[in-house]
Amino acid sequence: MTFLPPAVPHPDMETYRGARGYQSAGGKQVPVEALQAALAAEHAAVWVYGVAGAFVSSALTRRLDEATTAHQARRDATQRMLIDAGVSPVPSEPGYLSPEPVTDTASALRLIITAEIDAAAAWRSVVERSSADPDLRGAALEALTAAAVRATRWRVTAGMAPLTVPFPGAP
Amino acid sequence: MFQARPSRRHVLAAGASTAALFVAGSAALAGCSASAPGPEEPDPLESPARRAEADAALATTVAGMHSTLAAVANALAADRATHATALRAELHRVQPTSVPPNAAPPAPPAAPPPVSPDKATAQAALTQAMRAAQDEAAELVITLPGYRAALLASVAACCATHVTLLT
Repeated sequence: MTFLPPAVPHPDMETYRGARGYQSAGGKQVPVEALQAALAAEHAAVWVYGVAGAFVSSALTRRLDEATTAHQARRDATQRMLIDAGVSPVPSEPGYLSPEPVTDTASALRLIITAEIDAAAAWRSVVERSSADPDLRGAALEALTAAAVRATRWRVTAGMAPLTVPFPGAP
Repeated sequence: MFQARPSRRHVLAAGASTAALFVAGSAALAGCSASAPGPEEPDPLESPARRAEADAALATTVAGMHSTLAAVANALAADRATHATALRAELHRVQPTSVPPNAAPPAPPAAPPPVSPDKATAQAALTQAMRAAQDEAAELVITLPGYRAALLASVAACCATHVTLLT
């Protein structure tokens, strides 16, 4: 994680209102590109939790179900936002290529954590691009926070270190 | 990062490269005068920066006093110190007369922050500090311009992960 040094101009998305990646809808500038990326991350997360369910112990089923439900709700809400903005939401893929084969609990948990990290990054981008829409920004912050908290909880379960990162979702 | 197997549409990868494009494009523009406060007005990042420094000091003291809390408190101290450095860097960028992020830290207070000798009470104090930090950052996220909002959003999310570990 690096921050740009002082005195160097840095990205400030206010400048980009009405620019590429946004679409006007209902008097708002909707950051459709960032929302589509967030939706794609939610689709991927739902898929990942489905795959992981076959490999982790039944003691974790309830947590898997809760996380799946949370990602499905986020996915559905994001789809509605895009449709309301007059944009066709990206569909889920029939399958995803995971970074490593999922063969046991440990690899399933690593895949879950990767999915949560991706979701956190996607929602942080929505936060960055939603200056004109406090409701969307609040929802994006909630999604980022929830993904970061789940990632930490799964790291505890997996016995991974470190358990936290200082800037969840940051590139 | 997941790739779509059959179509290889690289939806997520496309999102990432767009973000890079935004960064590169806006670097050519002149900063964010809209977000820079006037000379008399305190920068809204001043308070979260101070809070991050205070939390780091508190957690370091807790770690020294309670060995069973040391792991979680030291991790918390490290994350909050990183927040403080990033927030000071942003403060300094907007107002170069403010304390530069790499300058020697201000003289430490004469006494370390008071920490209860009771482990549960010390742990509760850390939890309370993280909740307050999360709330403050989350409130600022709604009103700040893009870059700063994203920075504070990550700070808020990080503090939430520490609440999870403490409770």
